[in-house]
Amino acid sequence: MSNILAKAEPYLFLTPAFAILLVFLIFPLFWNIYISFHDVSFITILKNWEYSGWKNFIDLFNDPNFYTSLKITVLFVAGSVASQFALGMLMAVLLSQKVRAAGVFRAIFVIPWTISAVIAAFSFKFILDYNFGILNYILQQIGLQPVGWLTDPNIVIWSLVLANMWYGTPFTMLFITAGLLSINPSIYEAAVIDGATKLRSFLYITLPLLRPFIVINLILITMWSVNFFDLQLVMTGGGPLFASTTASLYMYRQAFEFGLLSKGAAAGLILIIINISVAFVYLKLLRR
Amino acid sequence: MIGAMQKATIRNNRVWFFAERTFIYALIAIVLFLTIAPLVWVFSTSFKQNEESISFPPKFLPENATLDNYKFVLTDPGLLHSLMNSFIVSIGSTVLSVTVSALGGYAFARFEFKAKNLIMSVILGLFMIPVVINIIPLYTMLSAAGMLNSSLALILTFQILIIPLNILLLKNYFETIPKDLEESALIDGCSRLGVLRRITMPLSMPGFAIAAVLAFRFSWNEFILPIVLANKPDSMVFQVALYQFISLYRIEWGYLTAGITLAIIPVLILMLAFQKQMIRGLTLGAIRE
Repeated sequence: MSNILAKAEPYLFLTPAFAILLVFLIFPLFWNIYISFHDVSFITILKNWEYSGWKNFIDLFNDPNFYTSLKITVLFVAGSVASQFALGMLMAVLLSQKVRAAGVFRAIFVIPWTISAVIAAFSFKFILDYNFGILNYILQQIGLQPVGWLTDPNIVIWSLVLANMWYGTPFTMLFITAGLLSINPSIYEAAVIDGATKLRSFLYITLPLLRPFIVINLILITMWSVNFFDLQLVMTGGGPLFASTTASLYMYRQAFEFGLLSKGAAAGLILIIINISVAFVYLKLLRR
Repeated sequence: MIGAMQKATIRNNRVWFFAERTFIYALIAIVLFLTIAPLVWVFSTSFKQNEESISFPPKFLPENATLDNYKFVLTDPGLLHSLMNSFIVSIGSTVLSVTVSALGGYAFARFEFKAKNLIMSVILGLFMIPVVINIIPLYTMLSAAGMLNSSLALILTFQILIIPLNILLLKNYFETIPKDLEESALIDGCSRLGVLRRITMPLSMPGFAIAAVLAFRFSWNEFILPIVLANKPDSMVFQVALYQFISLYRIEWGYLTAGITLAIIPVLILMLAFQKQMIRGLTLGAIRE
């Protein structure tokens, strides 16, 4: 008896954590599929849900706004990943060059990322405001026309990329810094003796050793940009019209703005497929 | 001849060195400015009177610095209530996640069992699931359970953001504590749970502290789950109340910037106090976001 109990003990310790994860993280993934094949809206949510076959997916693929959102997602993700990665990498490398008080700089650079995305969004909404924003003021001071940062459909997505760059770059900086610290400095000493320049040792020693860190970092910031919509929701609500509605925000708006929960769930399923594809492509790159 | 050449190379190297240093520090200065300028601007605006906060041209420093904005936010019954909700939810979620993760982390650190590696890789895999994908199913589930718009709904759902990370953190911490201490207590007839509570936990306080700080930070900052699951005046948290604030009224930037500043303060204090551990934990935890 006590033997059985002893064997069960570790599982008992794990039960509370697993119960919570099962109910609120794992089960909903399957429940989402169920919802996407039924007719669920704010009107029908408390009634019997009728099976609706592929209708939600057909609706989704007949909705021009859905294609717009996919296109915008590509722009937002490409812009965010490229800018966060380039600047984050640059800062990580610069701060590793025996800079004085590097720790203090790092602690300050990381502040945007420790505060919440909503706070970043409010701040940028204020700074980019067409009438009262400081950025338009500065533009006018130097003799340029004010820009509709959040109101011009062609520009708004790049304003969101800018806010996301401010908010997200510190993560890449920290992650790449962790990678740089994992490299044994004696490798560089050997390279210096062999007469390698800094640039050459960076290209031929640092980069190859950083490769796994770079790939994992790219996976994380890509998936994160795909799923993330705090900034869009607060700064523009996805507008004007659908001009800044990325796929994840499209899912949210269908469900909670228009009350079409099952159409949102169908979009969520497409989002899961996008996530898996992103992870898959990068992991292929990592293995190569 | 050789001497002259060497001198020239050295001089050349020094010029190159100074150019490089100047370049590095100039870039750092620019990024430093871009990092803190938005926050300084928000902070400065929070002390301006409302007309001044949207005056054009903007004033960089408040002309007649005032605490009116803070007074407004902290006396508005709705906002104050949401601030209380934020604390209740964040503290509740922190206590729950640390308790549950300590039990789980302890199982991984101290027991040998069949499915150990399998369960560990499942937990690592769970890290990768983006939580936003769950908002619609969670909404229908909690709606069916009659739990929408309750603090409990937020406390429970926030766990999925925190538990996988905290189990890993606490497991790693427990593994640094020598087993001998526990073994003698076990021989004296203490139960495993008693050992965890009386011996391991007091010795792991730094680990618990960082787990709690991270849990608080995630709960305090979370926005999407609360806006979906608890957006009624009674149950909304501070961030959601600020959001409602911009969609309901003409934006009063003075009030809003004061609210933003108040929302940043708790996290910034924790960040400054636990800087190193928090950065390490967040880098690990970022897999979650």
